[in-house]
Amino acid sequence: MIKEIILPDLGEGIDGAEVSEVSVSIGAAVTPDDTILVLESDKASMEIPAEVNGTIAEILVAAGDEVKTGHLLMKIEIFGKAPEEESPTKEESAPVLEVELKKPEPPQPELVLQDTSSADTVFASPGVRRLARELGINLQIIKGSGQKGRITKDDLNGYIKLQMALSSGTISAPPLEIDFSQWGQIEIQKLTRIKRITGQRLQQAWQSIPHVTQFDEADITDLDAYRTELKTEVAKQGVKITFLPFLMKAVAIVLKEMPEFNSSLDHTGQNLVLKNYYHLGIAVDTPNGLTVPVVRDVDQKSIFDLSEELMDLSSRARSKKLKPDEMKGGTFTLSSLGGIGGTGFSPIVNPPEVAIMGISRSIWKQVFDKTSGEFVTRFAMPFSLSYDHRVIDGAAAAAFTSRFATVLTDISHFKD
Amino acid sequence: MTKSIHSEIVVMGAGPGGYAAAFRAADLGKKVLLIDKDPTLGGVCLNRGCIPSKALLHISKVMDEASHLSSMGVTYGKPDIDLDAIRAHKDKIVAQLNGGIAQIAKARKVESIRGTATFKSNSELKVKTENSDISVSFDKCIIATGSTSAMIPGVAADHPSVLTSRTALDLVDIPERLLVIGGGIIGLELGQVYAALGSQVSVVEFLPNLLPGTDSDLVKPLHRKLKKQFQSILLSSKVTSVEPNDDGTLNVTIDNDKETLMQVYDKVLVSVGRKPNTNLLNINATDVEVDQQGFIHVDVYRRTSVKNIFAIGDIAGNPMLAHKATHEGKVAAEVASGHPAAFDVRAIPSVVFTDPEIAWAGLTETEAKENDVAYEKGEFPWTASGKAIIMGAKQGKTKILFDPETKQVLGVGIVGSGAGDMISEGMLAIEMGADAEDIGLTIHPHPTLGETFGMAAEVFQGTITDLYIPKKNW
Repeated sequence: MIKEIILPDLGEGIDGAEVSEVSVSIGAAVTPDDTILVLESDKASMEIPAEVNGTIAEILVAAGDEVKTGHLLMKIEIFGKAPEEESPTKEESAPVLEVELKKPEPPQPELVLQDTSSADTVFASPGVRRLARELGINLQIIKGSGQKGRITKDDLNGYIKLQMALSSGTISAPPLEIDFSQWGQIEIQKLTRIKRITGQRLQQAWQSIPHVTQFDEADITDLDAYRTELKTEVAKQGVKITFLPFLMKAVAIVLKEMPEFNSSLDHTGQNLVLKNYYHLGIAVDTPNGLTVPVVRDVDQKSIFDLSEELMDLSSRARSKKLKPDEMKGGTFTLSSLGGIGGTGFSPIVNPPEVAIMGISRSIWKQVFDKTSGEFVTRFAMPFSLSYDHRVIDGAAAAAFTSRFATVLTDISHFKD
Repeated sequence: MTKSIHSEIVVMGAGPGGYAAAFRAADLGKKVLLIDKDPTLGGVCLNRGCIPSKALLHISKVMDEASHLSSMGVTYGKPDIDLDAIRAHKDKIVAQLNGGIAQIAKARKVESIRGTATFKSNSELKVKTENSDISVSFDKCIIATGSTSAMIPGVAADHPSVLTSRTALDLVDIPERLLVIGGGIIGLELGQVYAALGSQVSVVEFLPNLLPGTDSDLVKPLHRKLKKQFQSILLSSKVTSVEPNDDGTLNVTIDNDKETLMQVYDKVLVSVGRKPNTNLLNINATDVEVDQQGFIHVDVYRRTSVKNIFAIGDIAGNPMLAHKATHEGKVAAEVASGHPAAFDVRAIPSVVFTDPEIAWAGLTETEAKENDVAYEKGEFPWTASGKAIIMGAKQGKTKILFDPETKQVLGVGIVGSGAGDMISEGMLAIEMGADAEDIGLTIHPHPTLGETFGMAAEVFQGTITDLYIPKKNW
């Protein structure tokens, strides 16, 4: 009999490959482990084994061909009988004599019956009880969501989804209740709504995005001088100039140069959505928890405009007066802990964005200047960039942070 | 020469359980062979049980109703009874249904063999047909060979004047004096048929009540009616001997605590229950376990102790009811075809098709008292039902037993015209876990007998307006 070799699913989203080598010729004898074909995809090369003992009967592809999953590649005449399937041979296809000649079908895997027959106390209709049996669910452990606690088919579907999520590790089992008071005095503080929602979102982001954080440092000595100059200038207008608007401008400049940092993966995970607008989320610490208002079109605004807008947004964030729309549509997020302290941290990407920048506390330090051969005092700002490694490579991230540092050294970018 | 064949699923017995199993398995893609000793499909239920008896009961009920029309101003003369025509009418109904099943079998390509099947092993049967023996090997077998009327010791079963439910339905003649031994469902149904056709009927029951085990309040209206229709009802009594006389009549000795009666009857009907047909199967050739009463032991999947052999219907245990067999047949067919079905029901309804009818489902008061099960009751007497008064069916009642905690329906009992049709609502309530409120808040059409079901729930809740019941807790 003939075994047809078909291109299997190559996984990892690869649906096609190029034939780089046909390793056998017609009539060649092969054993199951023999390579009959070598394929090359964008990522790797693969060897296709013969899978059976036999001789090559037909070769349907040639080197250089593009093949796709499910494509018939080769036919192999099998020695002896294949264990897994029967096919009628010519002798047997003569008219079937009588019913009695029919072979008993090969033993099918025995149906595993779990006794999930419901106790009379379970509140579920016959149809739900039947579905529970089919799904192998013990109704005793299901909490009904219907009227008066009736178990519905949706409850069973929900239970199955939960089990799947648990087994795939997407979510973890509910934590055990621990009585902490056994070791000393405790008090219970209710999490704010913002904290609970942020917590869920952060957990999901942390678990679903492969994070990498790149650390770097920017020389902001000149920027600091420029800022001080500007600060006194606008102080009379009641506007406070911090470093943040400069950092935002610099980020917008680099994002324009490196658009994949200003993108999102689409729902299929197959495409990158590049955005031609630069809306930066600014993480603001409030008494109720973390909020991230979004400053729109950062590339088109002046340092003065940004300063004004930041003051307004952060004061409204603290008094819970932000509108929902003002927290949507960000393309990149900045989180600054510079005013508080620390030498570096790895922020969590704020999906559907693909990168986030973390700013730490700037310090004065001695830097050796090669040209003058002397140590000079410079003001250095440590910062980090966490990114979604599905979208951004390490090299690009390193390029991003060094370009960002360079932009900050040139104050001409901020004079408009 | 012995022919041998193989089938994926063999079903032994083409009664309501067997043919349901065969058809379901065929629908699930299995090659099915159906074996029955009768020339027609349908088993006892269709050929010699439920269907012919109900055909006759319908006649006796309409006759009774017609006679009662005189109180409503319409008086008929004495009915003319043409026994041959009645028999032909009954046979026609059976034949029509036989034909229907045969057609359905053909459409599903279920092969059937007429013959007597006995086991050769856990995977093989011998089928004796009219002119040959066939050896049948199977992957799965479903035993659905039912039951036969039980006899009492000392009674010549083959005497032409000794009837069973089977021969009684042949309606050979209308005996002048008929003794029904056994006051259970079959005895009372057939007794009422013969009484309507003109026999003087007496009933002997060993236990102190008719329909032993049935709630006495449900039996009472029937008992009252039978007292008028029957010549005598002897309770707590036992037939000790049945001696044939030369003229074909029978001398019957009946004992009870007080006295010994000697009576002469033209015929006796033995209806003391049914026994499973296990002894006809050569079951010892298999490893199938059978209990002392001859029932085949099965699990919830209706598998016997041999996992590829299933048993359903009367042979797999009480209650011996066609609708239980049908449900079990489907379960067995599904499990045998690789589906995870199970016999998982909350209740099996019972119906006595006498006039008045009696039907119950789930918990009965008798059971509740025996097993100390807590319950509360809502009861609606049909004296307050417009429809029942119109129909002259005031003696009926509908009662619902509720769980005192959840107020869910535990059981339903109905006596009166159409009780058998009405019990279905009770069954649905039990299976769905409905409570008193669910039923009471469901609009029932007026004026109907079905309305009494909603009213029974309302009585329980205290929201009834069709009765005045001094304050309940609401």
